[in-house]
Amino acid sequence: MTKPLTNAPFGPEDMARRRKRAIAMALILAGMVVLFFVTTVVRLGSAVAERTL
Amino acid sequence: MSDINAHLADSQVASQGGLGSVGDFFALLKPRVMSLVIFTALVGIIAAPGSIHPWLGFVALLAIAVGAGAAGALNMWYDADIDAVMRRTAKRPVPAGTITPGEALGFGMTLAVGSVLVLGLLVNILAGALLAFTIFFYIAIYTMWLKRLTPQNIVIGGAAGAFPPMVGWASVTGSIDLGAIALFLIIFVWTPPHFWALALWKKINADYAEAGVPMLPVVAGADETRRQILIYSLILVPVTLLPALTGTVGLLYVVANVILGALFLWYAWQVYRLREGQAAEAACKTLFGYSTSWLFIVFALILIERALGLAPFAPVIG
Repeated sequence: MTKPLTNAPFGPEDMARRRKRAIAMALILAGMVVLFFVTTVVRLGSAVAERTL
Repeated sequence: MSDINAHLADSQVASQGGLGSVGDFFALLKPRVMSLVIFTALVGIIAAPGSIHPWLGFVALLAIAVGAGAAGALNMWYDADIDAVMRRTAKRPVPAGTITPGEALGFGMTLAVGSVLVLGLLVNILAGALLAFTIFFYIAIYTMWLKRLTPQNIVIGGAAGAFPPMVGWASVTGSIDLGAIALFLIIFVWTPPHFWALALWKKINADYAEAGVPMLPVVAGADETRRQILIYSLILVPVTLLPALTGTVGLLYVVANVILGALFLWYAWQVYRLREGQAAEAACKTLFGYSTSWLFIVFALILIERALGLAPFAPVIG
């Protein structure tokens, strides 16, 4: 018989703190996606529109 | 029995980590130091000749800030033992037990590698290399080597705090120019009198002695520290005027800095002259407070000159 999954030994306060950390991490990752995307566009500049197809 | 189990569970969690809040991790970045790094790096970006796309300037500033935060986290990882002994630092996340040393190390290394890669690949290689060297200098040269070895720890280690405007400058120009070196020298020479004024406070001095950190007042005594503060202050005032010779600043900066420098020397003289009792303690606190504002104003003057469109002097050197 398998044991049911629990969060032990983390209590409710610990879990709330970990949830906030996970949200912060998600926001940072989303920010990095934006950072790399915008930087790529800025660095390529008009070369994107002027490239030969 | 249940108490023992609860205790075991607590200690297991504490050793495994995972209990730190977002605020604890933010504290690892030394946000107050980081704010000064961001400001001086911004001045380096603005003062550098040439231009940078505003977005790339923002990316450079962000990478430098994160790199500074990484250095702070790695410093707190390595120094957790002496931080725990000193009252000023005992509540930091690692000695307080909210973040494990392993978490601080992993967090710091991740940010260090990430910030260097971002600056090097998205802005320019030299800026990234300089940021990597800054973090290496702060952790390996200052924190791991000099801090516990010599009373000159602050003098040489202070270079780490002096690099950010140079990194900012290199983000724009892709080179290390005399103008950038002049900004570096200002912070480099400012650091010893600033920190020794703090280290002379009785409580701080006792903390350093208890932790076994060979700060100058602990090793050489208060009188020698006062003499060194005065010497470095005398060197600092002319060094502050070097950006005029490199064509980085103009008349407003020079005139304001002559006045600000004279005040700095006056407060340093008071520290040298007053050696006993409350007056001596107050003189140290005044110099420490003034020197903090002084650095901010000196760098802000460069921004003000640029904002007002005031022309810098023609370069004499460089």
